[in-house]
Amino acid sequence: MFLRNFWYVAATDSEVGRKPLARLILGEPIVFFRTEDGTPVAFEDRCAHRHLPLSMGKLVGDRLQCHYHGLQYDQTGRCVRIPGQDQIPPSAKVKTYPVVERYRWVWIWMGDPALADPAKITDFHWLDDPAWGAKASYLHVKANWQLVVDNLLDLTHLAFVHETTIGNAALAEHAVVKVTRAPNNVVVTRWIIDQPAPPTFVKVGGFTTHVDRWQIIDFVPPAFLRLDVGATPTGTGAPEGKRVGGINMRNLNAITPETDKTSHYFWGQAHDFDVENAELTNRIFEQIQTAFYEDVAVFSAQQRSLDLIPNPPQLDINADTGVIQARRILARLHDEEQAALHVTAAE
Amino acid sequence: MKFRVELVWKDDEEQAAASIYLTSDGRVILQGRAVSQTERATLSLPPEGDMISVDRNLIQAIKDML
Repeated sequence: MFLRNFWYVAATDSEVGRKPLARLILGEPIVFFRTEDGTPVAFEDRCAHRHLPLSMGKLVGDRLQCHYHGLQYDQTGRCVRIPGQDQIPPSAKVKTYPVVERYRWVWIWMGDPALADPAKITDFHWLDDPAWGAKASYLHVKANWQLVVDNLLDLTHLAFVHETTIGNAALAEHAVVKVTRAPNNVVVTRWIIDQPAPPTFVKVGGFTTHVDRWQIIDFVPPAFLRLDVGATPTGTGAPEGKRVGGINMRNLNAITPETDKTSHYFWGQAHDFDVENAELTNRIFEQIQTAFYEDVAVFSAQQRSLDLIPNPPQLDINADTGVIQARRILARLHDEEQAALHVTAAE
Repeated sequence: MKFRVELVWKDDEEQAAASIYLTSDGRVILQGRAVSQTERATLSLPPEGDMISVDRNLIQAIKDML
């Protein structure tokens, strides 16, 4: 299941340059490059002539030249040169996609271009806001995108998958969880009060006493999860909104489906303390990255299991509440997109 | 303290329904107001048993969320 009328993160800003970048998104082969003035461009990655991926070609000025027979396409996707032929048929063109560069990511609109409003891009300002120290990265995941979304919406797994980094048993046994479901949004709020800080928090925050820890997960369809996480020494007032003497971070996640069974996982970690300290930013990032590799191993194994027996019955537990609500929103949005497509097709 | 989940449902106008609570002992607890004996008499409701009055939004929330 893919949702098309949404902005997705296609690449990091540094991945898109003067060398064509091939990427499969929602099952569609796409090539990315920058024009000489730095504008990012996205085409269907298939020459209109004999279907060689255009990503195998090269840029000639602002034109992308096919590696096979040298057809050249301008940034609107129109073929403007066929070697040895003056007349260019009108059908000599490739599909183009709306792209926008924001928050150090290149975003792509995969649906009806007429609906591609950049104002709909989900806010990830923490990644390039000078008030925050941040570092981002990319992971290729051999798992369906919804398995990644599920993982981020249920953080009880931290107690088991990440017990040596960001988790501890308190997360699964001592949490009060609030799930707020709006028509197109799920927020999962958890407070873990007066419990030991997990290993990563001790390393980064230097906690020597019990902490009050929060995890506020904000899910925006189709696959954006912004986690407000942190901790302060117990009793200093964080649950009442007074976050002092501790650590305050954002874990930022944008998952882009590649195929039904693989995903592009763009993520970053931001902190609002000692923001100029690049060594600290790196240290926090590396701690979280270690945990993310543990997650990737879980998603991949889940996918292999699902490949063996597709759609097996599954058990839902209380901790799945946020996951279930997000899946319902996604299913409804998919139904709405399909219904609109059928109406358009019938007209 | 045990693991407990509170569900809050908001409509298009951001109006929230009363909460639904899922407890670690397997119960679903709804937030509502007890129906008084006076109300029971006025509305010809049975006088015995516990009764609560809930907002219609809560019924929508139960339909959507559970």
